[in-house]
Amino acid sequence: MQRKPTPRLLLLLAAVPGAYLLSALAVGGIGAALAWAGLARPEAVVLGAMLGFVICLTALLWGYRTALGWLHTWAGVALGGVLFAVFWMGTLSVFDREIDRWMMPATRLQPAPPQLSLDRIAAAVKPAVPAKASQWRVDLPTDRVPVLRFTYKAGADEAPVRQLDPALLTLLPEPGSLGASGFIFPFHYGLHLKWLDLGKWIVGLAGMAMLVLLVSGVIIHKKIFVQLFTFRPHKSLQRSSLDLHNLTGVLGLPFHFLITLSGLIIFITIYYPQAHTSVYGDNKAAFSAEAYGKFSRPKAKAPGTLGSIDAMVARAEQEWAGGRPYFVRVWHPGDANSYVELRRSYAHDVTMNLDQIYFDAASGAILNRFEAGPVMSVQRFISGMHFIQFEHWPLRWLYFLAGLSGCMLIATGFLFWLEARRARHAKRGLAGVRVVEGIAVGSVTGILIATLALFAANRLLPANASLASADRASLEMWAFFLTWLATLAHAWMRGRAAWRDQAWIICAGALACVALNAITTGDHLLRTIVAGLWAVAGMDLMLMLVAALAALAAWRMRVPAGVARASIALAGSP
Amino acid sequence: MSTLLLLLAGAACYAGFAGLALAMPDSWERAGGETAAHARHRLRLQIGGVVLLAASLAACLWRDGPGFGALLWGTLLTAGAIAVAFTLTWRPQLLGRLTGRRPR
Repeated sequence: MQRKPTPRLLLLLAAVPGAYLLSALAVGGIGAALAWAGLARPEAVVLGAMLGFVICLTALLWGYRTALGWLHTWAGVALGGVLFAVFWMGTLSVFDREIDRWMMPATRLQPAPPQLSLDRIAAAVKPAVPAKASQWRVDLPTDRVPVLRFTYKAGADEAPVRQLDPALLTLLPEPGSLGASGFIFPFHYGLHLKWLDLGKWIVGLAGMAMLVLLVSGVIIHKKIFVQLFTFRPHKSLQRSSLDLHNLTGVLGLPFHFLITLSGLIIFITIYYPQAHTSVYGDNKAAFSAEAYGKFSRPKAKAPGTLGSIDAMVARAEQEWAGGRPYFVRVWHPGDANSYVELRRSYAHDVTMNLDQIYFDAASGAILNRFEAGPVMSVQRFISGMHFIQFEHWPLRWLYFLAGLSGCMLIATGFLFWLEARRARHAKRGLAGVRVVEGIAVGSVTGILIATLALFAANRLLPANASLASADRASLEMWAFFLTWLATLAHAWMRGRAAWRDQAWIICAGALACVALNAITTGDHLLRTIVAGLWAVAGMDLMLMLVAALAALAAWRMRVPAGVARASIALAGSP
Repeated sequence: MSTLLLLLAGAACYAGFAGLALAMPDSWERAGGETAAHARHRLRLQIGGVVLLAASLAACLWRDGPGFGALLWGTLLTAGAIAVAFTLTWRPQLLGRLTGRRPR
């Protein structure tokens, strides 16, 4: 397997950009051809771009058809760390709004009243909108978010989102935290590397690698049906980790494949810009407007009024056959040409519809209506499958469990690689196991500890904390990244023992987070359960479960006293 | 009703995979089935397993319609199959009744 790594490595380096270039060319060609053949232009672009991922995957697998085992091993080792980070953060993002409640105690409100007057809301936020604002927007509360979210744009500066209590219509204090929806979720798709969209490209590469890993894994698995339900924890670690790797990989295959592919398809315009450039040239705005909908008209530069938004909502609900808006946006507020945009909620649908209606602000007359085309609706269904913005608790929990099984798949892949080579590398004096073990520990238990450090920092930092130019929310992020770095350093120093050390740290950290929440907010488990604050109670219960599982794992990894003494004696002998 | 259908879908999914698993000689023996009787039960277990999985799909679609129903079934499949695998690892005798052996 390892005899001649160099030529294959070169091949790999050539094949990946090769497959991508091939698919990008194909995407441009398909998009242009479909548009030429008469398919609506935005539809042609979206269809072409979605096909790109399938073409790229097929090209990669075809290129490696004789070396799929090798590809599986090395793609996994090289990108397993990124993949685990993406799967872990994605799994947490399933409950991002619930974690937000835990991280933003001021938003731990009772569910919002079902009927809210948008006219009253507009009046309440008006003083906060500056005279020069080009738009303001309010997102309505949902089952999972009990607050109103308000923001505006004035020139180049985009105001940070402010939260309002929907019952009192007062601004809540700044949370001083990005929360899970502002840190964990963007980390999941962009790693917080914004320069040149580098993070999204790394995640995209890892995503394509995941698809390749899944397909190649199934092909190289020799006993796929015989061992479909096989898990033998009492056998060697190498054997049992491979069992668990196969189990989560094969039985979770539909989920893992579709969640990865749909994640890639969300970012068609990032990964396959060739689709829209081949049809629209440099005019990306025209593509966005035609595909995603966007109405605009210039300012009249004369004063105007804002009519009843509630009346517009009533009209929209008629047009949408009962569909309700989830946000309202007022463009050019105070101008005679001001207009109001309402977006239809997709809380009860997988497809994230793009339905939108624009009203003249003064008269309430409908100016424009938009609905996505059929291909775009397919893209929005696939996106909706991934984003799970709908209200469906059983499905949310199943996604969470399936996400965890993905984490387990990646972690056991690492373990199997390490255990299969540990003895051999030690005998031949190779550094491979040591290096990969450092990466594996740092990316598996390390990111768990870093996440707990984020939560702990969130509860420990004072309300107006700042250091140099970093505000409180940035300090939370620093706590995450520095802790992660520290776990990586620790893993490299401690080698195999780092697994156990870090499991104990996870146990202590998770319990500390539960205690810190109780101490700093007074919302201990008993109170949150009685008050029905399930988001906070659920988070605390999950932390306690993590602590228990980490303790169990650490205890199972304990070194029996006799062995410890023997190894110390061995290490001490010349 | 919707909770009942969900439980039904989950149970049918688990039982369906249990049937498919017991159709394999390894799992059959681990669950305490008699080796000699396996061939006799095998087809029945396979058909039963597939029928139960289909019933689970039907319950999901009935409960949630095509969009959510398909997602629910797809994710239940993974959960149900892994649950069966873990049962076979830690409590294989729980599936003993499905082997047609009388519980002692």
